[in-house]
Amino acid sequence: MTQDTASPTPTPTPTPPPTLAPAGALWDVHQPVGRRSLLLAAVGALLGLGIAGYGLFTAQGTRTASIPAEDAALVNAIPVLRADLIAQVTALYSVPYAQTTRSQRQKVLDDMVREELYVQRGVEMGLSNDDIDVRQALVQATEGQIAQDAATAKPAEDELRGWYTAHRAKYASEGLMTLHEWRVPAGADPQRAVAALRSGTAPDALGLKTTGRVDDGEEFYFAAQEHLGTRVFAVARGLADGAISNPIPSPDGVHIVQMIRNTRPVATPYPEARDQVLRDFLADKIARLQEGNKRFLKKRADIKIAADLQ
Amino acid sequence: MKPPRTFARAATRRRLLWIIPLFVLIAAVVTHGVRDRAIAAQVLRADPEAILGDPMLRDAAIAAGHPVYAQHCASCHGAAGKGDRTLGVPHLTDNEHLYREGTVAQIEDIARYGIRAGNKHGWNLAVMPAYASKNPDAAEPLPPQTPAQIETLARFIHAFTAGVTDPAAQQRGRDAYNKAGCWDCHGRDLGGDGAIGAPALTDDIWLYGGSIADIRRSISRGRAGMSPAFARKLTPAELRNVAVYVASLAPIQSDRK
Repeated sequence: MTQDTASPTPTPTPTPPPTLAPAGALWDVHQPVGRRSLLLAAVGALLGLGIAGYGLFTAQGTRTASIPAEDAALVNAIPVLRADLIAQVTALYSVPYAQTTRSQRQKVLDDMVREELYVQRGVEMGLSNDDIDVRQALVQATEGQIAQDAATAKPAEDELRGWYTAHRAKYASEGLMTLHEWRVPAGADPQRAVAALRSGTAPDALGLKTTGRVDDGEEFYFAAQEHLGTRVFAVARGLADGAISNPIPSPDGVHIVQMIRNTRPVATPYPEARDQVLRDFLADKIARLQEGNKRFLKKRADIKIAADLQ
Repeated sequence: MKPPRTFARAATRRRLLWIIPLFVLIAAVVTHGVRDRAIAAQVLRADPEAILGDPMLRDAAIAAGHPVYAQHCASCHGAAGKGDRTLGVPHLTDNEHLYREGTVAQIEDIARYGIRAGNKHGWNLAVMPAYASKNPDAAEPLPPQTPAQIETLARFIHAFTAGVTDPAAQQRGRDAYNKAGCWDCHGRDLGGDGAIGAPALTDDIWLYGGSIADIRRSISRGRAGMSPAFARKLTPAELRNVAVYVASLAPIQSDRK
């Protein structure tokens, strides 16, 4: 008996001719459908393009798609701020912004747009190089920009105290003095006049006349220096209360200073000088930043100086 | 081997259980973000003085403005906006405004362009001259005052809050006030001028303190407080939000412009 021992070979299933997947197969994730892959890829590409486009047209500096909320207008992509419009409208019409009319706002905006156009045209024409006022304004504005940058960070308390300590004399009160300045009559002996004054003799009895320069009572040091001149003031400054100076030869004769009260400058405590310390600290910081900025600009610039001026 | 049909359906259902909430979450986040952006844009487009009256805009601006204030303003004005007299930093929670009326737009302008901060848009006008110095004011030739004149002026101004005890001295003070040109900024009636930041001298509100020593020092050494310009540091939205936040610190004024 012959037995067919060979296992029955499966009849190869003929591959069905490629046909379009049935309509429902597109949504059945268990069935591979080429169209679905293409569709998903297309959706992904569109989404990517959308995000890229949104980023491109709305990023800071590429304001081309629409007017950003903070702006009232864009002039060649340069913004005109709403806040500036509001400030100008209220300043011009002296009423709250809400009470201004549409035409008033439009008029101001029109003026601002005109200004922006002229500024842009001016830059095109090179007025920043030619016009002396524009040049000065640009220099000041650039300096101001540095000042703004320097001032937006408040210095630490330690820094302010350190500054105060290093410049304590600057925060001293102005010295005060009340004094007389006598002129010795011609022919009189100045040394004897001084000795007599020191012993308590009245100036009238010695024939001394006031110079009239410091007869207004108590004066600040700077005012006394202005009135007495540097030389006599230097002598006066060193006198204690009630002291009489030695004779001081001057172009108009010999002078004697009689000090009534000399109040020397007193250091102002830090808490009282704090506002001034902050002001001076920032002014110094700004000056240093401007100096640094000048060095940087010089360094990166191509400056050629004529041989005879070097 | 192909999974049985029922098993595949169950797996799909399980996946959907994750996918649907995920999509809902994403949609919610996107919607929330879009809504926030829309409100932020509305805050910027709105009349600044109308924001505090609109609960939705007010809440959004204050919530966004508070962190900006904490980061950039609180170091001088204090976390609670109470100011600092030693630096002449104003109190923000009262209704007194050295520079005009304290509207949102004005506060925003100050935040953007500063006060004496080097920005030409900013408030750079008035400086209290230092009358106990050779050149009291760098911008204008003003005569210095004598110690006696400064004392007379200090007592004259102090008397408005402390009470007049010597009418003759008060008259001398008024003469000195007129002669020294103080009226040029502070006005003939000593009512000040908000447009240039010159304070009223007859009320009991003091930027640097109202004791006679404080007044004497203000006249002698001068004052020139500064508020930085944040135009290049903060975005327009941050500036608007912080202005709304600061305005919200003051009590509501019915006549606020």
